[in-house]
Order: sequence, then structure tokens, then C-alpha cells
Amino acid sequence: MGVLILGIESSCDDTSASVVKDGYVLSNVMASQEVHQRYGGVVPELASRAHQQNIIPVVDYAMSSAGIGIEKLSAVAFTRGPGLLGSLLVGTSFSKGLALSRNIPLIEVNHLQAHILAHFIAQEGKEDDQPKFPFLCLLVSGGHTQLVLVNDYLDMKIIGRTIDDAAGEAFDKCAKVLGLRYPGGPKMDKLAATGDAEAFTFSKPSLPDLNYSFSGLKTSFLYFIRDQLKNNANFIQDRKNDLAASLQKTIIDILMDKLIVASRNTGITQIGIAGGVAANSGLRTTLFNEAKYRNWKIFIPDFNYSTDNAAMVAITGYYKYLAKDFTKQTIVPDARLNI
Amino acid sequence: MEQIDIKNLNDLQGAAKIFLRKFDKPGIFAFYGELGAGKTTFIQAICQELDVQDPVTSPTFSLINEYRTIHDTIVYHFDFYRIESVNEVYDLGYEEYFFSDQYCFIEWPEKVEMLLPERSTRIKIEVLTNNARRLIISEDKT
Repeated sequence: MGVLILGIESSCDDTSASVVKDGYVLSNVMASQEVHQRYGGVVPELASRAHQQNIIPVVDYAMSSAGIGIEKLSAVAFTRGPGLLGSLLVGTSFSKGLALSRNIPLIEVNHLQAHILAHFIAQEGKEDDQPKFPFLCLLVSGGHTQLVLVNDYLDMKIIGRTIDDAAGEAFDKCAKVLGLRYPGGPKMDKLAATGDAEAFTFSKPSLPDLNYSFSGLKTSFLYFIRDQLKNNANFIQDRKNDLAASLQKTIIDILMDKLIVASRNTGITQIGIAGGVAANSGLRTTLFNEAKYRNWKIFIPDFNYSTDNAAMVAITGYYKYLAKDFTKQTIVPDARLNI
Repeated sequence: MEQIDIKNLNDLQGAAKIFLRKFDKPGIFAFYGELGAGKTTFIQAICQELDVQDPVTSPTFSLINEYRTIHDTIVYHFDFYRIESVNEVYDLGYEEYFFSDQYCFIEWPEKVEMLLPERSTRIKIEVLTNNARRLIISEDKT
């Protein structure tokens, strides 16, 4: 039989549903044009009401792609927070209704914890390719930048966080200055590949603890470009790749500096990376170089499981199911939920 | 029309105090200013004065952050940078926040100008030389 968990994620922009069996993903569906075409609709715009339109098609598609009937589910897991209240409400209410009607356990999941547990999504033949406890996890995305000490599946502690902008936001906003459309982070990564990372230097924050700051870098980048444009109106055009490469290097350096300190302080050399920015090729290269030098072991989930997705919610639900950590029907979403 | 000058970062907390002396009741506060003008930074300073316990960070991705103060009140922090149409803001259920009688601080309000209630306060952050900033405050008396 096995343990079959349906995971539902609706914390911000995307609605997603996934079925996980004994830790292996059977399906992981994101609201998309394709899903809506099956239901004769179009993808609605950002935010809460969109989730209401998405949730039934997405769950239905996740169940049918997994090839299982709803009566086979062992439990339903949902993102309780952090996120947008209106968006969270959709996933929470849907999950409560489903759990109640099937009389199966309901499991609340913390979105941040789920990003980290994405490392434990099992893949055929790669079962040993998972971090061992304790490990350090750098969670980097458009909305989050956190350093987390992970002691066990359900025991983790934030040891550093951004005090202003997220790393992904620094990428996106600086990309905007270069004239790239939102979200410009991935485009920046592409430009950086052929640029000189040492061409320009931008200011780095000097925070004493393990916290991050990216707001000053954004301002420094902006003013540098503004000054240069006074002398050369084509400055951005002429040096776009060098600007992208230098900025990317600065962001990566900032991320790495604290990670190195955290590893040194804790003696931990198992390093996990979670969140959408894990896809950045510059960050990956730097990490693997550092890993060779420092004897680190690096773990990065597949891209589909790094960005917001429901498989990570389902896998967290699976470990909570094993721990019999269930939720009451009286549960309400929590926009400010923390680890 | 009123203005508060902030010479440098050391002036920031003092400016937040002056701001809150004037606006000691919750309301809607829309912050205008270009990228890097310091909208998030000034809102962080105000939140500190309001005794917010949670970390105050940029809501660009999350769209809305909510913070709790030690006085058990809530502060809402919006960022409409990513918003492309007013419909998206309707879909966020913005009324629930705007008419909550709590402090609402809004970044990139240009995108939702038509939804700002009467009696909103508009704050324009101007970047002066040497990292100084000027806040130009206009209250909607209607």
C-alpha cells in the first residue's frame, strides 16, 4: 500500500499540487496554460482569486497523473504559511474540506521548512544523494534569504536571514536597472556568463552576525550606473555583460561569506541549497569550487523542486505523517509563520 | 505640504520619530520614490518606532507583509512593484487591509493610485546629494 500524501502549495503566485508515495514523487503539477486548457480556461493573473480558479484543476491533474484515486490518500498536507493570507486560505480551506470528507489526517506545512525538505525527495538510484544531519541550508529565492541549521527533518533553526531585500530580489531589481524585464535574475545569469566579474566592484554590507543585507548593494549599483551614464549615454549597452557579471559575483560573494562563517562556526560541511536562486549558474560554480577547497558536500534539489512547488509540501507532509504530527480542523493559515 | 529632511542614516530614526509624532494614529501611507530611494528603509525605521517585533523586510516578492507590535497591533507593509493591473489588487482582497484601521505602509503606490482611499497620506522620498533624503508629505484632506 505505502504512504500516499497529497501536498498543496498556494502561498504566493503559483498553485501547485503533488502526490508523493513513500517519499517518491508520483506527480508535481503547477497551474499552467496546459492544465487550464484541459479545463477550457486560461491562467488567471497573480494572487488569491487565481488560486480558487486553479485549485480543482491542479489537484485533479496531480491525482490523475499520479494514477491514483482520491480514496487511496493517506493524508493531505498544505502550506499554512508564511505567505499571502488570501492565497493561503484557498489551499488551507480546500485541504480541510478534503481531509474531512475522506476522514484522513490533515497536516500543516511551513513553506520554508518545505523548501529545505525538498532535499529529501527520493529519486530512483539517487537515494543516498541526500544530506546527512546536521546540515546547513542556504535558502535563496525571490522572497527569502535564510541560513538554516537543520538538525533533523522536523528540527531546524534559522541562524541568519536578510534584514531587508532577498538575494533574488537584488538580482531582479538590478536587472531592471539594466533594462531587463521582471524577473530579470535568470537573464542576468545568462549575461554574466560572458562578462568580466572583476570589471566593477560594488559595496558589500558588513553585518557582524550571520544576517544578510542586499538593499545597500542595490543602491550602490544604481548610483554607479547613474554616474557612468553622465559620461557615456551608452554605458549600460556597452558594458551590460560586465555589469551583470560583477553584480552577480558581488551577490554570490555576500551569500558565500556568511555560509563559510556558518560552516566554520558549526563545523558542519554538509551544505544544502534551496530556493529558486539555486538555479543560478554562477552560484553553483562558486559553490562547487568552494566545496573542493573546503571539503564540503553540496546538495541542490532539481530545479522543479527548488522553486515554489507542492512536491516539497508533500514530502514534508510525508515526514510529519511518519511522526504522526497531524493538525486539527480548527487550524487557520498564518501569514507570518516562522521556523 | 510638509517636509522632513534626513541628512544621513544617523538622522533616520529621528525622522521616523518626527513622522510618528505627526501621524500618531493608524492610516494609509503611500511612499513614492525611485528604486533605491529608501522606501523600505524608512518604513523599517517607522516600524521600529511602532515596536514591531517581526523582521521588517521588503515585500516585493510577498506583496504584503504583516507585522505584529508588542502592543498587539498589526502593521501592514505593501509593495506593488510586481503588480501589473489593478485587478490583481482587487484579487488580493486589499479592502480587508486598507480598511482595517491599522497602519498600512505602501511601496510603489503609483500602480494602485485609484484604489487609495480618501484621507491617505502621500510621502514622496527625494534623493538629494550626499545620500541625504527629503520627505515631502501631503495629506489628503477630502
